Amino acid sequence: MVLLQLDPFLNELTTLYQNSTDKGSIWVTLKRSSMKSKVQRNKMTTNGEPIEYRCLIRATDGKKTISTSVGARDHQRFQASYATILKAHMTALKKRERKDKKKAAESDKKEGDVKKKPKRV
Amino acid sequence: MVYITSWDDFVDRSVQLFRADPDSTRYVMKYRHCDGKLVLKVTDNKECLKFKTDQAQDVKKMEKLNNLFFTLMSRGPDADVSEVTGKEQTEARAGKKGRGRKQ
Repeated sequence: MVLLQLDPFLNELTTLYQNSTDKGSIWVTLKRSSMKSKVQRNKMTTNGEPIEYRCLIRATDGKKTISTSVGARDHQRFQASYATILKAHMTALKKRERKDKKKAAESDKKEGDVKKKPKRV
Repeated sequence: MVYITSWDDFVDRSVQLFRADPDSTRYVMKYRHCDGKLVLKVTDNKECLKFKTDQAQDVKKMEKLNNLFFTLMSRGPDADVSEVTGKEQTEARAGKKGRGRKQ
């Protein structure tokens, strides 16, 4: 298990997704962690020191595991690039069909309502 | 394990589970490209919540849940998540307005 910096982790995650298009699955786990051993944690609590928690992110294809951690400061930036990668690779999911029709009908109804109100002066 | 069918139910119960035991709760996302399946799991090793989908529209929902868990885990379980959950409503409103103007 390799603990990587944020950007190398995202690159590795991209390769994991690319290599699993034909077969296999990818698991990504999020967990709250202090990145310290239980002994260290116990020591800190007995000494009354505050424990800093981070979010540990692990990804695996069943053979290779990579991991990284984000703190309170950088999680938003990471989340944005992570979401971009997911969107780029989760292309095998089905596009919506039924819902589109429903939504179209809904917006038509709302259209009617809007027209009744004299919005523009 | 039975899959939870309602998304909102899944989100509510996962957050509850995490808040009850932040140290041992994890959130796993499994994606299988060849079958086009996505499975989300939240567990604290005692209780297990799962949600399965094959719909592309659920990716957006999953992103919001990712966001929620990143916030909860890096800032702590008492973190204010109203900005993360509040976003949904404003986005939905903006979307409807946009559609109305086009036609």
